[in-house]
Amino acid sequence: MKPPDEHISHISTVVPYYILAAVSFVIFQILLIISLPEIHLHYFQPKLLALTHLFVLGWGTMVIFGAVNQLVPVIAETKLYSQILPVINWILLTIGIPILIWSFWTFQFIWITYTGASLIIIAIILHAFNIYKSIFAGKSNIIADILLMAHAWLFITGSIGLLLLINLISPLFPEEHLHYLKIHAPIGMAGWFLQLIIGVSARLVPMFMLSRRENTKLLSTSFYTLNAGLALFLIEGMIFHSFHGRYIYLLLVIVGLAAYATYIRGCYKSALRKQKDAGMRQTFIAIGFILAALVLLIISIWVGTSVQPQITTLFGLTFFCGLVTIIIMGQTFKTLPFIVWMHITKPNALPELMPKDLFSEQWVNIQLWVYLPGLLLLLTGLAVKLTILLQAGAFLMLIAAIIYTVHVLYVTGKLKTKQL
Amino acid sequence: MNIAITDPHYAVKIKAIQALYGVTDPELNINIVDLGLVYDIHINEELKKVSVEMTLSTKSCPLGGIITNHARVAIEDKLDDYDAEVQLVWEPKWNYDKISAEGRIALGL
Repeated sequence: MKPPDEHISHISTVVPYYILAAVSFVIFQILLIISLPEIHLHYFQPKLLALTHLFVLGWGTMVIFGAVNQLVPVIAETKLYSQILPVINWILLTIGIPILIWSFWTFQFIWITYTGASLIIIAIILHAFNIYKSIFAGKSNIIADILLMAHAWLFITGSIGLLLLINLISPLFPEEHLHYLKIHAPIGMAGWFLQLIIGVSARLVPMFMLSRRENTKLLSTSFYTLNAGLALFLIEGMIFHSFHGRYIYLLLVIVGLAAYATYIRGCYKSALRKQKDAGMRQTFIAIGFILAALVLLIISIWVGTSVQPQITTLFGLTFFCGLVTIIIMGQTFKTLPFIVWMHITKPNALPELMPKDLFSEQWVNIQLWVYLPGLLLLLTGLAVKLTILLQAGAFLMLIAAIIYTVHVLYVTGKLKTKQL
Repeated sequence: MNIAITDPHYAVKIKAIQALYGVTDPELNINIVDLGLVYDIHINEELKKVSVEMTLSTKSCPLGGIITNHARVAIEDKLDDYDAEVQLVWEPKWNYDKISAEGRIALGL
């Protein structure tokens, strides 16, 4: 008998990503508090750019890279193509991201900025290459296709980002800088983060809830409409330098999201386990933030961001701090304890501890009930321009980030005790 | 999984099943017998060997290797004189209907 443990990726391909992401999350929350006096200003300003990139690269992408290195073998029923590339990528990102954040924060773009940005792009390419090779060697399915396409969008987003950085000191583009920023940000948000969340949750939600029915046709509909909308948006924006078809593209994205929502509803309705644990509760709350972000996006397109740039900031915070952060905070404790347990449990002895013993369900709940009111206070403070609400909200979010990070370190610290 | 009382290896098989009740699925926190993962048990008295046919909830389950090892260890601990072997099979495909009544209660279903 050959046990299928080839599906377990090496610990170094996963855990360092979770740890660095958690640390970035705390730093992000600290810098958010420092930046509060400037949060009402236009989103194209040094501190907001630094914060956004710390979030998307240091927190969101970092934890996603680690999770994907573990999940791809499960989704494509194969092994990870290379166990070395994730280690190299982690080092490249750990060097590149702080350099980029420092450059945005100080708004100094010198040779080291471009070195840092290039290291990030190289890491993205190598990571995507590893995922492509792994998936192509495995079993084809719609979720694997979603993951592949998400990585393609990440590469496009990163490439436009690098060109935008160069454009700051040596103009490359025919149109104004902000025009391309309006392409760079949405394709990163929808193409990379949203699509990744759709793909990963489409696998994990029915698995954790024991769903009897998974309508993959709905996932295919979501996949094609979402990517068609994004591709048309990219082509018009980059080649024709306009966004005349924006309502059509938005409609395609909405159809994609509706198909995804219907898929998740079907999974929930056919689930044997309808009782949600702390991790799944956070996942469903996070999915609810998609609707809130969508409403804000429609408003921002309707009124025009030049009139109300704060709406764009509000939309960005709802998307990143609502959807992305809450889903990561919840799913971390649905995945990390298992990953750690797989590496510390002895194969030739029955374990005394199980994954549920490696973390605290209560702390996952506390983390949510500190973070969620904090986020709602922050969003309200931004909407009504009330500093005290912004400060209270950001402070609660920092506390939640610290709880999360200490909890992650507690779980990963179990790796030192190989005595199960 | 049912074992007929007329089965010539009834006693050994019951001990093997009892051992497998001690192997827990790490995600669902119920034992692999109530989860319906154990399909069959064969005894070879001459070779003193217990062969278990079991499945996993999904072919790519990353915990599969660990679970099957724990199944083997559990049987060898319980039946000192026997060696155990665990064979993974994919037919019939596992589904949630294979969870026993006790398993459903344990899962809060």
